[in-house]
Amino acid sequence: MLEFFTAVLTSLSTGAIYALMSTALVLVWRSTRVINFAQAGQAVLSTYIGYEVTTRSGSYWIGFIGAVLSGAIIGAGIDRFFMRPIFKRVKSGPIVMIAPVVATLGLLGIIQAIVGFVWGLNYLTIAAPVSTEGLKVFGSVIAFSPFNLMVLISVTLSMILLTILFQKTNLGLALRASAYSPEIAKLSGIKVEAIRTIGWALAGAAGGLAGMLYVPGSYLYPNSMEVLLVFGFIAAVIGGLDSLFGAVAGAMILGFAINFSTTYISYKLVFPTAFVILILVLLIKPGGVFSSKKGRKD
Amino acid sequence: MVKISTNRKRTLAFVLLGWVLLIISDRVGELRQYQGSFVAMYALAIASIILLTGYSGQLSLGHSALMAVGAYAGALSINNLKLHPALALIVAALIAGIFGLLLGFTVARLSGPYLAGTTLALAVSLPTVANQFPILGGEQGIIFDIGTPPSRFGEDFSQYKWFFWISALAALITIWMLSNLLASRYGRVFRALRDNSVAAQLSGINVGRLKAIAFSISSGIAGLAGGLLVMLISGVSPSAFPLSLSFALLTGAVVTGVYNLKGVMLGGLVLVAIPEIAESVVSRIGGSEGFTTTLPGFMVSALLILAVLFTPNGPGQLLHHHKKKH
Repeated sequence: MLEFFTAVLTSLSTGAIYALMSTALVLVWRSTRVINFAQAGQAVLSTYIGYEVTTRSGSYWIGFIGAVLSGAIIGAGIDRFFMRPIFKRVKSGPIVMIAPVVATLGLLGIIQAIVGFVWGLNYLTIAAPVSTEGLKVFGSVIAFSPFNLMVLISVTLSMILLTILFQKTNLGLALRASAYSPEIAKLSGIKVEAIRTIGWALAGAAGGLAGMLYVPGSYLYPNSMEVLLVFGFIAAVIGGLDSLFGAVAGAMILGFAINFSTTYISYKLVFPTAFVILILVLLIKPGGVFSSKKGRKD
Repeated sequence: MVKISTNRKRTLAFVLLGWVLLIISDRVGELRQYQGSFVAMYALAIASIILLTGYSGQLSLGHSALMAVGAYAGALSINNLKLHPALALIVAALIAGIFGLLLGFTVARLSGPYLAGTTLALAVSLPTVANQFPILGGEQGIIFDIGTPPSRFGEDFSQYKWFFWISALAALITIWMLSNLLASRYGRVFRALRDNSVAAQLSGINVGRLKAIAFSISSGIAGLAGGLLVMLISGVSPSAFPLSLSFALLTGAVVTGVYNLKGVMLGGLVLVAIPEIAESVVSRIGGSEGFTTTLPGFMVSALLILAVLFTPNGPGQLLHHHKKKH
């Protein structure tokens, strides 16, 4: 019973981190129709910045703010100074469909190389602001720490903020309109390109947040976010790529599936479980589990 | 009549190229022979990307993983089934092709980013999975020994020359078969899929099935290249197939023009040259460990971005961009 309870709690907190990554991917996909593979690079770069700020200031929380802010700035910068020129330049030929995606891959490689060059290839870690020791429940220690609880609370709060932004503000309306139909949004006076940059900034911030919440329980090295990128992608596919709610729900499904299969069957099953889920979703419902109507087709 | 003659021309060109390579291999040192075998192996792997991306419009980030599938299949069939090395390379291609077919019918038939993401997941998770099966030898991996060159070639026929002969021959035969395929009805169908899949569907082409088939052939070629790669480094382990290998192949394909099969040798040369250039840069200006290990990756990625920005349709575009190809 206790084992089951622990598995539920750890599923929630790992699912929460996946949710940040899948949200970031969905935010960019909705506005740009590109799966931003550089997201792993952006997240790792802003986490390194968070690491630097944390070690210099001595406070995790200042580093936390540094990572989220720098994530947003990096995201916006990449859209404005990297993606936009590529969309402008590459207009014809068979590569036009894949050029933006290929560009994000190149960017991922460049960011990883720069990070490795600046900070080295060693495994770093950021000390958690609260204990990472398991909580005591009825006299026995479970694999759920106060830090896991903090992860869960931070992600829930940021999701609530994101929902308010999207549902209750004019900016959110503009974001939704540009994602739904860029042409019509443009006709009604929305600066679609600027709005897209804001979407990228939000995604970058989510990536920085994911890094700061992931690293204290793991390690920081130039490739450390690739795994998160993969799980974020799978979660986004489960949710249908287009929906923010779907991205979070997909991440939770993935978190539960991975934690339960590793708790009850074998610790080796992390990747096989994720992969089987991805294949099943693509076979049975490639539009995503939560898609009721047909989405925009490309 | 015309078609037969172009086919003959192509065959003749390949035979001639093979002959030239043979002569060259006799006149260069062992290091160049070894590098030459890497060029052939990379050229083959890039050809598999060109078939997939240039001819069916799909993007794979997991060709390193497909190469690994072929490599492990080949190594297991030499070590455990005691197959002849030549047969083992064919097994490598077949197993990777079958693997690709299964994956293809699931993912490659879908449009959008699904194939790219799924293959990325494959490439990232493969090392971990390989570590968990004792038969695959964990982190150390397993040996892949193709044996010494046959004694009938004489005493001074070196191992490196033997590597070069095998790689070059495998690459030549496979790319010759591939270029014949692309010149056939299937090549036209693949191009139709890439350029306008709706129109292709309207003219009676089963888009999903053909995309899956293209992916499967591409996987088989990648598997063969994987077998050649581990032959050259005498062993197969997860670390031989990092995600950066997939990126490098993609760079090779984009640099030579993603629908230009003729350029694959250039792509292979670029991929072999990059670490060399990086090394000479580092030895000249010195640098930290981080700089030394990250420079090749940086160069590959920078080249990829520059190629996408300035010659998205290949270097041929610069020569005659007013003519519309195909």
